[in-house]
Amino acid sequence: MLSYKFDWSIILTGQYHDWLVSGLKVTLQLSVAGIILSFLLGLVVAVMRMSHLKVFRWSACVFLEFTRNTPLLVQIFFWYFGSYKLLPTVVNEWLNSTSFEFAAGLIALTIYTSAFIAEDIRSGVLSIPKEQMEAAQSSGFSYLRAMQFIILPQAVRITVPPLVNQFLNLAKNSSLAMTIGVMELTYQARQVESYTFKGFEAFTAATLVYLAISIIITFLVDQYNERVLKLHKAA
Amino acid sequence: MIHFTDVNKWFGPLHVLNSINLHVKQGEVVVVCGPSGSGKSTLIRTINQLEAINNGTLIVDGMDLSDRKTDINKLRAEIGFVFQQFNLYPHLSVINNITLAPIKLRNLSRKDAEEQAMQLLTRVDLAEKRDAYPAQLSGGQQQRVAIARGLAMKPRIMLFDEPTSALDPEMIGEVLAVMQDLAKSGMTMVVVTHEMGFAREVAHQVVFMDAGTILEEAPPADFFCNPQHDRAKQFLNQLLTPMHGALCS
Repeated sequence: MLSYKFDWSIILTGQYHDWLVSGLKVTLQLSVAGIILSFLLGLVVAVMRMSHLKVFRWSACVFLEFTRNTPLLVQIFFWYFGSYKLLPTVVNEWLNSTSFEFAAGLIALTIYTSAFIAEDIRSGVLSIPKEQMEAAQSSGFSYLRAMQFIILPQAVRITVPPLVNQFLNLAKNSSLAMTIGVMELTYQARQVESYTFKGFEAFTAATLVYLAISIIITFLVDQYNERVLKLHKAA
Repeated sequence: MIHFTDVNKWFGPLHVLNSINLHVKQGEVVVVCGPSGSGKSTLIRTINQLEAINNGTLIVDGMDLSDRKTDINKLRAEIGFVFQQFNLYPHLSVINNITLAPIKLRNLSRKDAEEQAMQLLTRVDLAEKRDAYPAQLSGGQQQRVAIARGLAMKPRIMLFDEPTSALDPEMIGEVLAVMQDLAKSGMTMVVVTHEMGFAREVAHQVVFMDAGTILEEAPPADFFCNPQHDRAKQFLNQLLTPMHGALCS
Protein backbone atom coordinates (compact mmCIF):
# COMPACT_ATOMS: atom_id res chain seq x y z
CA MET A 1 0.00 0.00 0.00
CA LEU A 2 1.39 3.34 -1.04
CA SER A 3 1.60 5.60 1.96
CA TYR A 4 2.81 8.70 0.07
CA LYS A 5 0.17 11.39 -0.25
CA PHE A 6 0.50 13.60 -3.32
CA ASP A 7 0.08 17.28 -2.69
CA TRP A 8 0.45 19.25 -5.91
CA SER A 9 -0.92 22.41 -4.33
CA ILE A 10 2.44 23.23 -2.69
CA ILE A 11 4.08 23.76 -6.06
CA LEU A 12 1.16 25.60 -7.60
CA THR A 13 0.65 28.31 -4.97
CA GLY A 14 2.22 29.78 -1.89
CA GLN A 15 5.77 30.19 -0.66
CA TYR A 16 7.21 27.04 -2.24
CA HIS A 17 5.70 27.95 -5.57
CA ASP A 18 7.42 31.34 -5.29
CA TRP A 19 10.74 29.63 -4.59
CA LEU A 20 10.44 27.55 -7.71
CA VAL A 21 9.50 30.60 -9.79
CA SER A 22 12.48 32.55 -8.49
CA GLY A 23 14.65 29.51 -9.30
CA LEU A 24 13.22 29.45 -12.81
CA LYS A 25 14.15 33.12 -13.25
CA VAL A 26 17.77 32.43 -12.30
CA THR A 27 17.89 29.39 -14.60
CA LEU A 28 16.58 31.51 -17.47
CA GLN A 29 19.09 34.27 -16.73
CA LEU A 30 21.94 31.75 -16.71
CA SER A 31 20.70 30.07 -19.88
CA VAL A 32 20.02 33.15 -21.96
CA ALA A 33 23.21 34.95 -20.92
CA GLY A 34 25.16 31.71 -21.31
CA ILE A 35 23.81 31.00 -24.80
CA ILE A 36 24.61 34.50 -26.05
CA LEU A 37 28.06 34.68 -24.46
CA SER A 38 29.13 31.15 -25.34
CA PHE A 39 28.04 31.68 -28.95
CA LEU A 40 30.11 34.87 -29.21
CA LEU A 41 33.12 33.32 -27.48
CA GLY A 42 32.72 30.23 -29.66
CA LEU A 43 32.87 32.40 -32.80
CA VAL A 44 36.06 34.08 -31.59
CA VAL A 45 37.74 30.79 -30.66
CA ALA A 46 36.71 29.22 -33.98
CA VAL A 47 38.24 32.11 -35.94
CA MET A 48 41.41 31.98 -33.80
CA ARG A 49 41.64 28.22 -34.34
CA MET A 50 41.68 28.82 -38.12
CA SER A 51 43.98 31.84 -38.02
CA HIS A 52 47.15 32.02 -40.11
CA LEU A 53 49.01 33.12 -36.98
CA LYS A 54 50.48 30.31 -34.93
CA VAL A 55 50.01 32.14 -31.63
CA PHE A 56 46.25 32.31 -32.13
CA ARG A 57 45.99 28.77 -33.46
CA TRP A 58 47.95 27.34 -30.56
CA SER A 59 46.20 29.26 -27.81
CA ALA A 60 42.84 28.24 -29.29
CA CYS A 61 43.97 24.59 -29.30
CA VAL A 62 45.11 24.73 -25.68
CA PHE A 63 41.83 26.37 -24.69
CA LEU A 64 39.80 23.74 -26.56
CA GLU A 65 41.68 20.77 -25.12
CA PHE A 66 41.46 22.07 -21.57
CA THR A 67 37.78 22.91 -21.67
CA ARG A 68 36.51 19.93 -23.63
CA ASN A 69 38.48 17.35 -21.69
CA THR A 70 37.74 18.33 -18.10
CA PRO A 71 34.43 17.91 -16.25
CA LEU A 72 32.13 20.90 -16.15
CA LEU A 73 31.68 20.45 -12.40
CA VAL A 74 35.42 20.77 -11.83
CA GLN A 75 35.45 23.90 -13.97
CA ILE A 76 32.59 25.39 -11.96
CA PHE A 77 34.49 24.68 -8.71
CA PHE A 78 37.66 26.10 -10.25
CA TRP A 79 36.04 29.42 -11.08
CA TYR A 80 34.19 29.64 -7.77
CA PHE A 81 36.75 28.30 -5.27
CA GLY A 82 39.95 28.69 -7.25
CA SER A 83 39.99 31.73 -9.47
CA TYR A 84 39.45 34.44 -6.86
CA LYS A 85 42.59 33.40 -4.95
CA LEU A 86 44.60 35.01 -7.72
CA LEU A 87 42.82 38.34 -7.33
CA PRO A 88 43.76 41.21 -5.00
CA THR A 89 41.98 41.41 -1.61
CA VAL A 90 40.05 44.54 -2.55
CA VAL A 91 38.52 42.79 -5.52
CA ASN A 92 37.71 39.79 -3.35
CA GLU A 93 35.87 41.89 -0.81
CA TRP A 94 33.86 43.45 -3.56
CA LEU A 95 33.15 40.04 -5.09
CA ASN A 96 31.90 38.70 -1.76
CA SER A 97 29.42 41.54 -1.58
CA THR A 98 28.00 40.60 -4.98
CA SER A 99 26.48 37.37 -6.20
CA PHE A 100 29.85 35.98 -7.19
CA GLU A 101 28.44 32.46 -7.38
CA PHE A 102 26.19 33.52 -10.27
CA ALA A 103 29.13 35.08 -12.10
CA ALA A 104 31.35 32.04 -11.51
CA GLY A 105 28.60 29.69 -12.71
CA LEU A 106 27.99 31.78 -15.82
CA ILE A 107 31.71 31.99 -16.63
CA ALA A 108 32.14 28.23 -16.28
CA LEU A 109 29.06 27.41 -18.38
CA THR A 110 30.04 29.95 -21.04
CA ILE A 111 33.61 28.76 -21.37
CA TYR A 112 32.72 25.07 -21.30
CA THR A 113 29.99 25.38 -23.94
CA SER A 114 31.97 27.77 -26.15
CA ALA A 115 34.57 25.07 -26.80
CA PHE A 116 31.96 22.77 -28.33
CA ILE A 117 30.34 25.63 -30.24
CA ALA A 118 33.73 26.68 -31.61
CA GLU A 119 34.35 23.20 -33.01
CA ASP A 120 30.87 23.06 -34.55
CA ILE A 121 31.34 26.46 -36.20
CA ARG A 122 34.78 25.49 -37.43
CA SER A 123 33.42 22.41 -39.16
CA GLY A 124 30.76 24.65 -40.69
CA VAL A 125 33.40 27.06 -42.00
CA LEU A 126 35.45 24.19 -43.43
CA SER A 127 32.42 23.08 -45.43
CA ILE A 128 32.14 26.47 -47.19
CA PRO A 129 33.94 26.28 -50.56
CA LYS A 130 37.27 28.12 -50.46
CA GLU A 131 36.20 30.08 -53.55
CA GLN A 132 33.87 32.11 -51.30
CA MET A 133 36.89 33.42 -49.41
CA GLU A 134 38.69 34.09 -52.70
CA ALA A 135 35.71 36.01 -54.05
CA ALA A 136 35.50 38.10 -50.89
CA GLN A 137 39.22 38.82 -50.82
CA SER A 138 39.13 39.74 -54.51
CA SER A 139 36.66 42.49 -53.63
CA GLY A 140 39.14 43.86 -51.09
CA PHE A 141 37.83 42.28 -47.88
CA SER A 142 40.54 41.39 -45.38
CA TYR A 143 40.53 37.83 -44.03
CA LEU A 144 38.67 38.82 -40.86
CA ARG A 145 36.08 40.98 -42.58
CA ALA A 146 35.49 38.27 -45.19
CA MET A 147 34.89 35.89 -42.28
CA GLN A 148 32.52 38.38 -40.67
CA PHE A 149 30.37 39.23 -43.68
CA ILE A 150 30.64 36.26 -46.01
CA ILE A 151 31.98 33.05 -44.46
CA LEU A 152 30.58 32.99 -40.92
CA PRO A 153 26.99 33.92 -41.91
CA GLN A 154 26.97 30.93 -44.25
CA ALA A 155 28.77 28.64 -41.81
CA VAL A 156 26.50 29.47 -38.88
CA ARG A 157 23.43 28.67 -40.97
CA ILE A 158 24.56 25.14 -41.69
CA THR A 159 25.79 24.75 -38.11
CA VAL A 160 22.36 25.39 -36.63
CA PRO A 161 21.38 21.77 -35.79
CA PRO A 162 24.54 21.02 -33.75
CA LEU A 163 24.31 24.47 -32.17
CA VAL A 164 20.82 23.66 -30.88
CA ASN A 165 22.33 20.67 -29.07
CA GLN A 166 24.93 22.88 -27.43
CA PHE A 167 22.31 25.41 -26.37
CA LEU A 168 20.17 22.63 -24.88
CA ASN A 169 23.16 21.21 -23.03
CA LEU A 170 23.94 24.63 -21.63
CA ALA A 171 20.39 25.15 -20.35
CA LYS A 172 20.39 21.71 -18.71
CA ASN A 173 23.95 22.00 -17.40
CA SER A 174 23.02 25.25 -15.67
CA SER A 175 21.54 22.99 -12.94
CA LEU A 176 25.12 22.17 -11.85
CA ALA A 177 25.46 25.76 -10.66
CA MET A 178 23.45 24.77 -7.60
CA THR A 179 26.60 23.11 -6.26
CA ILE A 180 28.17 26.52 -5.65
CA GLY A 181 24.97 27.98 -4.22
CA VAL A 182 23.40 29.59 -7.27
CA MET A 183 19.72 29.60 -6.37
CA GLU A 184 18.46 28.32 -9.69
CA LEU A 185 15.64 25.92 -10.40
CA THR A 186 17.26 22.67 -9.22
CA TYR A 187 18.54 24.37 -6.07
CA GLN A 188 15.05 25.61 -5.27
CA ALA A 189 13.43 22.25 -6.01
CA ARG A 190 15.91 20.70 -3.58
CA GLN A 191 14.98 23.37 -1.01
CA VAL A 192 11.29 22.66 -1.41
CA GLU A 193 12.00 18.96 -0.94
CA SER A 194 14.02 19.64 2.24
CA TYR A 195 11.29 21.75 3.78
CA THR A 196 8.26 19.67 2.75
CA PHE A 197 9.56 16.17 1.92
CA LYS A 198 7.46 16.55 -1.23
CA GLY A 199 10.35 15.41 -3.44
CA PHE A 200 8.17 13.86 -6.12
CA GLU A 201 6.16 17.02 -6.71
CA ALA A 202 9.15 19.36 -6.52
CA PHE A 203 11.31 17.45 -8.97
CA THR A 204 8.42 16.65 -11.28
CA ALA A 205 7.85 20.38 -11.51
CA ALA A 206 11.55 21.01 -12.17
CA THR A 207 11.63 18.27 -14.81
CA LEU A 208 8.65 19.70 -16.66
CA VAL A 209 10.09 23.20 -16.58
CA TYR A 210 13.44 22.02 -18.02
CA LEU A 211 11.53 20.13 -20.68
CA ALA A 212 9.58 23.26 -21.56
CA ILE A 213 12.75 25.38 -21.75
CA SER A 214 14.38 22.87 -24.10
CA ILE A 215 11.33 22.63 -26.33
CA ILE A 216 11.13 26.42 -26.56
CA ILE A 217 14.82 26.72 -27.52
CA THR A 218 14.43 24.05 -30.20
CA PHE A 219 11.28 25.71 -31.51
CA LEU A 220 12.86 29.17 -31.73
CA VAL A 221 15.94 27.94 -33.54
CA ASP A 222 13.84 25.82 -35.90
CA GLN A 223 11.74 28.87 -36.75
CA TYR A 224 14.85 30.87 -37.53
CA ASN A 225 16.32 28.04 -39.56
CA GLU A 226 13.18 27.52 -41.59
CA ARG A 227 12.98 31.20 -42.47
CA VAL A 228 16.58 31.20 -43.66
CA LEU A 229 16.36 27.92 -45.55
CA LYS A 230 13.24 29.12 -47.33
CA LEU A 231 15.26 31.99 -48.78
CA HIS A 232 18.04 29.67 -49.91
CA LYS A 233 15.90 26.96 -51.40
CA ALA A 234 13.43 29.27 -53.10
CA ALA A 235 14.81 28.13 -56.44
CA MET B 1 48.92 49.41 -65.79
CA ILE B 2 50.12 45.82 -65.26
CA HIS B 3 53.82 45.05 -65.61
CA PHE B 4 55.29 41.57 -65.25
CA THR B 5 59.10 41.52 -65.34
CA ASP B 6 60.84 38.14 -65.15
CA VAL B 7 58.15 36.70 -62.93
CA ASN B 8 58.53 33.11 -61.75
CA LYS B 9 56.29 30.90 -59.70
CA TRP B 10 56.53 27.30 -58.60
CA PHE B 11 53.96 24.92 -57.16
CA GLY B 12 56.40 22.60 -55.43
CA PRO B 13 58.65 21.27 -58.22
CA LEU B 14 56.26 22.49 -60.93
CA HIS B 15 57.43 25.66 -62.66
CA VAL B 16 54.00 27.18 -63.36
CA LEU B 17 55.16 30.63 -64.43
CA ASN B 18 58.48 30.75 -66.23
CA SER B 19 60.14 34.17 -66.73
CA ILE B 20 56.94 35.97 -67.55
CA ASN B 21 57.26 39.38 -69.19
CA LEU B 22 53.97 41.05 -69.96
CA HIS B 23 52.84 44.66 -70.07
CA VAL B 24 49.23 45.71 -70.20
CA LYS B 25 48.51 49.36 -70.93
CA GLN B 26 45.58 51.32 -69.59
CA GLY B 27 42.42 50.67 -71.61
CA GLU B 28 43.92 47.61 -73.24
CA VAL B 29 42.11 44.27 -73.53
CA VAL B 30 44.45 41.28 -73.37
CA VAL B 31 43.19 37.76 -73.99
CA VAL B 32 45.29 34.92 -72.57
CA CYS B 33 44.85 31.52 -74.19
CA GLY B 34 46.61 28.20 -74.25
CA PRO B 35 46.10 24.54 -73.41
CA SER B 36 44.91 23.58 -69.92
CA GLY B 37 47.69 23.45 -67.38
CA SER B 38 49.67 26.08 -69.26
CA GLY B 39 49.56 28.55 -66.35
CA LYS B 40 46.98 31.03 -67.69
CA SER B 41 44.78 30.92 -64.60
CA THR B 42 47.79 31.19 -62.32
CA LEU B 43 49.01 34.16 -64.34
CA ILE B 44 45.76 36.08 -63.98
CA ARG B 45 45.46 35.14 -60.30
CA THR B 46 48.85 36.67 -59.52
CA ILE B 47 47.59 40.06 -60.68
CA ASN B 48 45.40 40.44 -57.59
CA GLN B 49 47.62 38.14 -55.54
CA LEU B 50 45.22 35.25 -55.13
CA GLU B 51 48.53 33.55 -55.95
CA ALA B 52 51.80 35.04 -54.75
CA ILE B 53 54.77 35.16 -57.10
CA ASN B 54 58.12 33.66 -56.05
CA ASN B 55 60.43 36.13 -57.78
CA GLY B 56 60.58 38.85 -60.38
CA THR B 57 58.62 42.08 -60.16
CA LEU B 58 54.94 42.60 -60.69
CA ILE B 59 53.62 46.15 -60.62
CA VAL B 60 49.87 46.64 -60.83
CA ASP B 61 48.32 50.10 -60.98
CA GLY B 62 51.54 51.57 -59.62
CA MET B 63 51.72 49.19 -56.66
CA ASP B 64 54.59 46.74 -56.35
CA LEU B 65 53.27 43.31 -55.41
CA SER B 66 56.68 42.02 -54.39
CA ASP B 67 56.86 44.79 -51.76
CA ARG B 68 55.56 43.50 -48.42
CA LYS B 69 54.40 47.01 -47.48
CA THR B 70 51.87 47.13 -50.33
CA ASP B 71 48.35 47.12 -48.93
CA ILE B 72 47.01 44.14 -50.81
CA ASN B 73 43.39 44.70 -49.77
CA LYS B 74 43.48 48.24 -51.12
CA LEU B 75 44.89 46.98 -54.41
CA ARG B 76 42.28 44.22 -54.68
CA ALA B 77 39.50 46.76 -54.18
CA GLU B 78 40.71 48.45 -57.39
CA ILE B 79 40.59 45.20 -59.38
CA GLY B 80 37.43 43.33 -60.29
CA PHE B 81 37.78 39.56 -60.57
CA VAL B 82 35.29 37.30 -62.34
CA PHE B 83 35.57 33.56 -61.68
CA GLN B 84 34.74 30.56 -63.82
CA GLN B 85 32.28 29.34 -61.18
CA PHE B 86 30.79 32.86 -60.52
CA ASN B 87 31.22 32.49 -56.73
CA LEU B 88 28.31 34.72 -55.82
CA TYR B 89 27.47 34.80 -52.12
CA PRO B 90 24.59 32.31 -51.84
CA HIS B 91 23.19 33.78 -48.61
CA LEU B 92 22.69 37.25 -50.11
CA SER B 93 20.20 38.50 -52.68
CA VAL B 94 21.47 39.81 -56.01
CA ILE B 95 21.34 43.44 -54.89
CA ASN B 96 23.15 42.65 -51.62
CA ASN B 97 25.82 40.68 -53.46
CA ILE B 98 26.56 43.87 -55.38
CA THR B 99 26.25 46.41 -52.55
CA LEU B 100 28.14 44.51 -49.82
CA ALA B 101 31.66 45.62 -50.73
CA PRO B 102 30.81 49.26 -51.59
CA ILE B 103 28.94 49.64 -48.28
CA LYS B 104 31.51 47.92 -46.08
CA LEU B 105 34.72 48.97 -47.82
CA ARG B 106 33.88 52.30 -49.48
CA ASN B 107 31.47 53.47 -46.76
CA LEU B 108 28.73 54.19 -49.29
CA SER B 109 25.28 54.72 -47.81
CA ARG B 110 22.84 51.88 -48.52
CA LYS B 111 20.76 54.23 -50.66
CA ASP B 112 23.67 55.31 -52.85
CA ALA B 113 25.02 51.77 -53.11
CA GLU B 114 21.63 50.43 -54.19
CA GLU B 115 21.20 53.19 -56.74
CA GLN B 116 24.58 52.37 -58.23
CA ALA B 117 23.83 48.62 -58.11
CA MET B 118 20.58 49.16 -60.01
CA GLN B 119 22.46 51.06 -62.73
CA LEU B 120 24.87 48.14 -63.02
CA LEU B 121 22.06 45.60 -63.05
CA THR B 122 20.36 47.54 -65.82
CA ARG B 123 23.64 47.53 -67.72
CA VAL B 124 23.85 43.72 -67.51
CA ASP B 125 20.11 43.52 -68.25
CA LEU B 126 19.07 41.96 -64.93
CA ALA B 127 17.30 44.82 -63.14
CA GLU B 128 14.24 42.66 -62.50
CA LYS B 129 16.32 40.11 -60.56
CA ARG B 130 17.40 42.50 -57.82
CA ASP B 131 15.75 40.51 -55.01
CA ALA B 132 16.44 37.03 -56.37
CA TYR B 133 18.97 34.72 -54.75
CA PRO B 134 21.88 33.27 -56.75
CA ALA B 135 20.37 29.76 -56.65
CA GLN B 136 17.33 31.11 -58.54
CA LEU B 137 19.41 32.34 -61.49
CA SER B 138 20.81 30.57 -64.53
CA GLY B 139 24.58 30.33 -64.94
CA GLY B 140 24.65 33.14 -67.46
CA GLN B 141 22.61 35.38 -65.18
CA GLN B 142 24.84 34.56 -62.21
CA GLN B 143 27.92 35.44 -64.21
CA ARG B 144 26.42 38.76 -65.26
CA VAL B 145 25.64 39.52 -61.61
CA ALA B 146 29.24 38.59 -60.78
CA ILE B 147 30.45 41.10 -63.37
CA ALA B 148 28.16 43.76 -61.88
CA ARG B 149 29.53 42.90 -58.42
CA GLY B 150 33.06 43.40 -59.70
CA LEU B 151 32.16 46.73 -61.31
CA ALA B 152 30.46 48.02 -58.16
CA MET B 153 33.85 48.87 -56.65
CA LYS B 154 34.59 51.07 -59.69
CA PRO B 155 37.71 49.06 -60.48
CA ARG B 156 40.53 50.29 -62.70
CA ILE B 157 41.17 46.76 -63.97
CA MET B 158 38.83 43.81 -64.61
CA LEU B 159 40.18 40.26 -64.63
CA PHE B 160 38.19 37.36 -66.10
CA ASP B 161 39.26 33.78 -65.41
CA GLU B 162 37.48 31.58 -67.98
CA PRO B 163 34.20 33.43 -67.44
CA THR B 164 32.20 31.34 -69.92
CA SER B 165 33.71 27.89 -69.43
CA ALA B 166 31.06 26.76 -66.93
CA LEU B 167 28.13 27.99 -69.03
CA ASP B 168 25.72 26.26 -71.36
CA PRO B 169 26.45 27.25 -74.95
CA GLU B 170 23.36 29.45 -75.34
CA MET B 171 24.33 31.51 -72.30
CA ILE B 172 27.87 32.26 -73.42
CA GLY B 173 26.72 34.97 -75.80
CA GLU B 174 24.96 37.07 -73.15
CA VAL B 175 28.07 37.12 -70.95
CA LEU B 176 30.42 37.91 -73.84
CA ALA B 177 28.12 40.75 -74.91
CA VAL B 178 28.46 42.35 -71.47
CA MET B 179 32.24 41.94 -71.60
CA GLN B 180 32.41 43.40 -75.08
CA ASP B 181 30.38 46.37 -73.93
CA LEU B 182 32.77 46.82 -71.02
CA ALA B 183 35.80 46.70 -73.31
CA LYS B 184 34.29 49.41 -75.50
CA SER B 185 33.91 51.64 -72.45
CA GLY B 186 37.70 51.65 -72.14
CA MET B 187 38.13 49.27 -69.23
CA THR B 188 41.55 47.65 -68.84
CA MET B 189 40.85 43.92 -69.07
CA VAL B 190 42.78 40.67 -68.88
CA VAL B 191 40.67 37.72 -70.00
CA VAL B 192 41.58 34.05 -69.85
CA THR B 193 39.26 32.37 -72.32
CA HIS B 194 38.87 29.80 -75.06
CA GLU B 195 36.41 32.05 -76.88
CA MET B 196 38.56 32.85 -79.88
CA GLY B 197 35.74 34.79 -81.55
CA PHE B 198 35.79 37.18 -78.61
CA ALA B 199 39.57 37.44 -78.80
CA ARG B 200 39.39 38.23 -82.50
CA GLU B 201 36.69 40.89 -82.04
CA VAL B 202 37.66 42.57 -78.82
CA ALA B 203 41.28 41.93 -77.82
CA HIS B 204 44.11 44.35 -78.53
CA GLN B 205 46.67 41.67 -77.74
CA VAL B 206 46.45 37.90 -77.63
CA VAL B 207 48.87 36.06 -75.37
CA PHE B 208 49.52 32.38 -75.97
CA MET B 209 50.92 30.33 -73.10
CA ASP B 210 52.23 26.81 -72.85
CA ALA B 211 53.96 25.06 -69.94
CA GLY B 212 54.25 28.25 -67.90
CA THR B 213 55.83 30.30 -70.66
CA ILE B 214 54.45 33.02 -72.89
CA LEU B 215 55.23 31.73 -76.37
CA GLU B 216 53.50 34.37 -78.39
CA GLU B 217 52.09 37.84 -77.89
CA ALA B 218 50.51 39.59 -80.86
CA PRO B 219 47.51 41.56 -82.04
CA PRO B 220 44.68 39.14 -82.91
CA ALA B 221 45.02 39.56 -86.66
CA ASP B 222 48.67 38.48 -86.51
CA PHE B 223 48.05 35.75 -83.96
CA PHE B 224 45.24 34.06 -85.86
CA CYS B 225 46.57 34.53 -89.41
CA ASN B 226 50.25 34.21 -88.87
CA PRO B 227 51.16 32.40 -85.66
CA GLN B 228 54.93 32.20 -85.27
CA HIS B 229 55.31 29.33 -82.90
CA ASP B 230 54.63 25.68 -83.81
CA ARG B 231 52.86 25.05 -80.52
CA ALA B 232 50.53 27.98 -81.21
CA LYS B 233 49.81 26.73 -84.75
CA GLN B 234 49.02 23.27 -83.39
CA PHE B 235 46.75 24.76 -80.69
CA LEU B 236 44.84 26.88 -83.18
CA ASN B 237 44.44 24.01 -85.61
CA GLN B 238 43.05 21.72 -82.95
CA LEU B 239 40.79 24.33 -81.48
CA LEU B 240 39.39 26.02 -84.51
CA THR B 241 39.64 24.02 -87.65
CA PRO B 242 36.07 24.81 -88.68
CA MET B 243 36.29 28.51 -87.81
CA HIS B 244 39.86 29.24 -88.68
CA GLY B 245 39.04 31.00 -91.88
CA ALA B 246 36.53 33.24 -90.13
CA LEU B 247 39.04 34.26 -87.48
CA CYS B 248 41.71 35.17 -90.00
CA SER B 249 40.09 37.62 -92.34
